[in-house]
Amino acid sequence: MRLFSKDRPEIPIVNHTKEDGSAWTIKEKLLLGLSVTEYKKQFFRNPVNWFMIMIFAIGVPLILGRYAFGLGWVTHASNDYPWGLFLGFGLFGMVPLSASGFMLGTTVELFGRKDFHSIERLALLNGLLGYFFAVLFLEIDLGMPWRLPYPMFVSLGPAAVLFLVAWHVATYLSVQVAEVLPALFEWMGWLKGKRIIRKYVLGLTVAGIILSTLHQGALGALFTYAPAKVHPLWLSTNFQWLHFFVSSIFGGLSMVIIASTLIKNFMGWRCDEEFKANLDYVTVGMAKGASLAMITYLVIKLVAVAHDQEWTYLLTGWGSYYMLELGVAVVLPMFMFAFGVRNNWVTLIRFGAFIAAIGIIWNRLNTSLVCYNWQMYQEIPHWKEVWITVTIYALYFLTYRFIVYRLPIVYEWKGER
Amino acid sequence: MKKLNRRSFIKGGLATTAAAAVLKETKSEASGDFDNYPEGMGVIVDLTRCVGCRSCEAACNKEQGLPEPAVPFDDFSVFDIIHHGEKRRTDETAYTIVNRYDPPEIDHPLFRKIQCNHCNEPACLTSCFVNAYTKTPEGAVIYNASVCVGCRTCMIACPFYIPTFKYSSAFTPRIMKCIFCYDTRLKNGKPPACVEACPQEALTFGKRRDVLKIGKQRIRETPGKYVDHIYGEHEVGGTAWMYLSSVPFDKVGFDTHVPKEPIINSVKEFLAMVPMVLTIWPGLFVGFHLLATRKDKIQELEKEKELRKLKENDEKEEQV
Amino acid sequence: MQTRKKFMRTALALTTGTILFAPIHLSAMDASDAPESVTIDSMAKLYAPVEFDHLMHTEYASCEECHHHTTGVQVADPNCLRCHANTPEADEVSCVGCHAADRFDDKYLATLDDPTIYHIDKPGLKGAYHLNCIGCHVIIDGPTGCQDCHAMTEAGEKRFNTGKHAPAGGNTSGAHH
Repeated sequence: MRLFSKDRPEIPIVNHTKEDGSAWTIKEKLLLGLSVTEYKKQFFRNPVNWFMIMIFAIGVPLILGRYAFGLGWVTHASNDYPWGLFLGFGLFGMVPLSASGFMLGTTVELFGRKDFHSIERLALLNGLLGYFFAVLFLEIDLGMPWRLPYPMFVSLGPAAVLFLVAWHVATYLSVQVAEVLPALFEWMGWLKGKRIIRKYVLGLTVAGIILSTLHQGALGALFTYAPAKVHPLWLSTNFQWLHFFVSSIFGGLSMVIIASTLIKNFMGWRCDEEFKANLDYVTVGMAKGASLAMITYLVIKLVAVAHDQEWTYLLTGWGSYYMLELGVAVVLPMFMFAFGVRNNWVTLIRFGAFIAAIGIIWNRLNTSLVCYNWQMYQEIPHWKEVWITVTIYALYFLTYRFIVYRLPIVYEWKGER
Repeated sequence: MKKLNRRSFIKGGLATTAAAAVLKETKSEASGDFDNYPEGMGVIVDLTRCVGCRSCEAACNKEQGLPEPAVPFDDFSVFDIIHHGEKRRTDETAYTIVNRYDPPEIDHPLFRKIQCNHCNEPACLTSCFVNAYTKTPEGAVIYNASVCVGCRTCMIACPFYIPTFKYSSAFTPRIMKCIFCYDTRLKNGKPPACVEACPQEALTFGKRRDVLKIGKQRIRETPGKYVDHIYGEHEVGGTAWMYLSSVPFDKVGFDTHVPKEPIINSVKEFLAMVPMVLTIWPGLFVGFHLLATRKDKIQELEKEKELRKLKENDEKEEQV
Repeated sequence: MQTRKKFMRTALALTTGTILFAPIHLSAMDASDAPESVTIDSMAKLYAPVEFDHLMHTEYASCEECHHHTTGVQVADPNCLRCHANTPEADEVSCVGCHAADRFDDKYLATLDDPTIYHIDKPGLKGAYHLNCIGCHVIIDGPTGCQDCHAMTEAGEKRFNTGKHAPAGGNTSGAHH
């Protein structure tokens, strides 16, 4: 464990008051109790930050360029592939990996599994940030980003799937903000706010399940608008929403396992004893849930192939690619999870989670880019598009880290709660 | 009737969704109005007549005020352009394109004009979440740039790859697509500019039901000249622009695998599920919650009971 | 197979009063009754009028190949005879007499909707010319390019962005990307 300062036991901050009894100011809390010079020093000591600076040095001008010169300046401006990486990765990939919020919210608040309490806030934060950045990706991709509220307030097309996605993502984002706010209120010392939200937790959680079921499914259903464009193996008009919904369950769980692993290894100083002591237990629990979702997913995938009579496609090159995807992205991590759960081998589970999360992104990219227009040429995204995608993801990483450094996410607030 | 029921069902379902999400009524006639317009106009494109003169492309360019082309419209070398293995397509500078095909079964080339087919139940319209598209009674599928957000779902949904995006613009991007010359011509009962410009009358304009009759008459009266199919009569639920060809349609660049029913029909499995989730989920999960936490509740009650008993006992003892 | 005889049915347009054949009941007409040349200029806008050498074309085709049944010859097809055994329509010689110059006139379009009308697929005047001329020219290897028959006008060059109005850049890519 690496502390910021060996001779200052009051940091990392877990309380409103310092050793001498005086209160931390918000500015001090933001600086993690360090002086500005100390803060800068530790910031530049970290090689990850240098890597981030490199990404931003090119990425930020590219993003500015996108708004100044249009989407055509950073993408191939393809009319055949209207959706590229911003949505293929940013929306279709980020959203399923953010299903963690409603998964653990449900487990803890609804099913009363208090033993998963220590991971709940991380799962909620993971959900909130995932959605927030999916919207940010959308704001890069939309032709007229300043019209984001149009489907809500200006011109409504309620019979469209995207209308449902827009409404649900927006409402769910608010639900998630409400769910994460208590951590902020504790940190700020505004207990009244926390109490107000506490009253509505059950309602928020149920709303979370409904909204998540529908919009995770709706993201899949968006592709049913293109029955002649997406390869039949990746598109089942009957089951597409189920494929997307069920895969988001293990996607979200895997993402929490990954985040908690990174936090445990690189931010040990921030975790409290309960979080660390419980982590292996909850990881095994989540892996159990994920592997159940995976077997369900595989069954529905199989049902879809059988229902649409697509067996012959399996013998083609596309079929091999399909099997490869299912094998590497689902079957392999599923067995890693199952084996890990049975033998309490947490490291295996953590590797499995990593594969499963990449696998979800792979599946979404396959659906939206690789197997889209499968009878046409393959679109390879412009390098600027790739770089901007990486930049936004880096911003996601930084925001994630910024919050976990400060708010009581993986530790319990020692002040009044 | 069946159609109407389905539509109102879908519409109702999604409106409920919106209402549930915001707890307020969203009453919108929005994009739910799919009635077929029997008086709608249409065009039948006869591939056997087209000579590839590109007059339609030129006429469209001027009528719609599109940018100056890269090469003159009487330059036929454009027929040899291949991008990513594909022939030319519509883009932000061209609403209509003519391509040349050389099917091996005949000794002369065939030309195929592409433009918006103006579907009876347009996928662009049904997929648009800001209701930017309208199918007019005259048969045109028009677009309202002032509400468009630029999500490009219509481009995903269109089975004919027609809508294009003005990617070149940072501040006023929009969808660019053929609108049947609605504003300037169709509205006033006039044919679109391309039809008027066609020297060969390869484009026959009239009410959709009439030009369909004409197409069928041509097939019947000139046996052997055409394949016995009118592309667009049933494709994706029927289109206002239809095609006649002397060779199978897949030989001249048509996607013959598009569904025979409207695109929205493949989405309805999901749409049907929406109201169910909305109504069943809340009760179901609150129920789960009560079940899952009943042990705690029971324990609490037991404790209370015991406490009360102890109290009562204490009181009794005191009385004694 | 009838290469020699096939010919442009098109051109006897006589629209602008070049020559006026009133629907007169003649028993028969032959090539000598026709003008030597006809100027087709009724629709000239993007292209200059066509000076159609009628006499020369009579060497390539018989009258009815272009004029259908209208040169005073009795209709032979029994199917046609059902209606046209003795109707004024059969005596019409000029192209524009039957093929509407304004193909998109409301009234004309309304006739398409009339269930009593059989000829719902009659091309307009411009279509009739081009279908006839080019259809035959392709077979007998006559000229088929637009400007082989009529020169483009200034307005045409503007419309087609060619000649004086050719695009400045001139890179050959009309496609996307």
